[in-house]
Amino acid sequence: MSKLTIGCFSSLVGSMTTDFVVKLAEAARKKGHDVDIWLSGNGTMLSKKGQRSFKDYSSLEKTIKDLVTGGVNVVACEACAEARGFHKEDLIDGFGRKSMDWYLASCFSADRVLQIGGE
Amino acid sequence: MKLGVFVSQYSRENDTLSRLKAEKLGVILVQNGVYNAALKEDGKSSPILDKDATIYALSEDLQSRGLGVGNVDSKVKIVDYDGLVDLIFNEYEKIIWL
Amino acid sequence: MAIKKVAFVVDKLPYKTETSRLALTHAISSQTVEIHLEDGENITPVLAFIGEGVLNCIKGQKASDMYGITSLESHIKNALLTDIRTLICAEDVKRFGLSNDALIMDAEDIGADMVSEIVPFDEIMEEMNTADHILFF
Repeated sequence: MSKLTIGCFSSLVGSMTTDFVVKLAEAARKKGHDVDIWLSGNGTMLSKKGQRSFKDYSSLEKTIKDLVTGGVNVVACEACAEARGFHKEDLIDGFGRKSMDWYLASCFSADRVLQIGGE
Repeated sequence: MKLGVFVSQYSRENDTLSRLKAEKLGVILVQNGVYNAALKEDGKSSPILDKDATIYALSEDLQSRGLGVGNVDSKVKIVDYDGLVDLIFNEYEKIIWL
Repeated sequence: MAIKKVAFVVDKLPYKTETSRLALTHAISSQTVEIHLEDGENITPVLAFIGEGVLNCIKGQKASDMYGITSLESHIKNALLTDIRTLICAEDVKRFGLSNDALIMDAEDIGADMVSEIVPFDEIMEEMNTADHILFF
């Protein structure tokens, strides 16, 4: 089993990049790989609970919750989240909030890292 | 180095991509990058397809944009998300996203 | 003892989006990564500016005065202060008509020993070649 770390710095609402990240993580997990997802910058939006589902927007909360239940680590940058006004109590259950060095530590133990920068 | 490069934008020229060198290079077209696999501007294919690299395009992103297999240049291999995972772990040592 | 090299490569312009800023803050966070690792393990970051990314390195940035936010200049100086090897692509410096005088070449004013290096793209490519992971911003 190998490990993939994905850094996602892109936003949820209005961007399809988080859809890409979630689908890639899902496919990697199905093949038995470990997956860490680091959400930074606008990517932290993916970690906020209470997002209402509209057909016109990507809605990934259920899928990513299932991934977390299935062993994927999803961790959001604490400073990026706080800067956007959502706090620990707004975090989806099972997700983590850490400082940026967590991402580098995840990279350390990863076999592959896919860093997806912001817009 | 075996380098897999994800290209997520449609652009006929990509300054960074054109400079990257690797013993084995793969260009993986995703998101709007898949237009590079199918569009012919003024009858000409994207110069990205001329790169000395194996070119892939993500099936789900082609289909989402109304691009069928028939639109895709014969140089391009079509992969799905399962295929991406295999490329990442089996074909390339390092992967980057442009 | 395991040390892994991570290349942070910036090819985006500063300020309109936070992408290059996050490259700097993530690279600098390598200073504290050891708390998550085993004894003897660590990350060695290398920072490289290529393409339009070299414009992050223009000195005299007044973002703090104009918008009240930290400048990329202050982040680059902090990277030098924390001994992060910082490379600027020579071909792009030339392409944009920049001189060494126009670029952040050191951070002596905050006590840094490390200086920026203007190097050919091939040298930056070699850094990517020898890195364990490459992160593009």
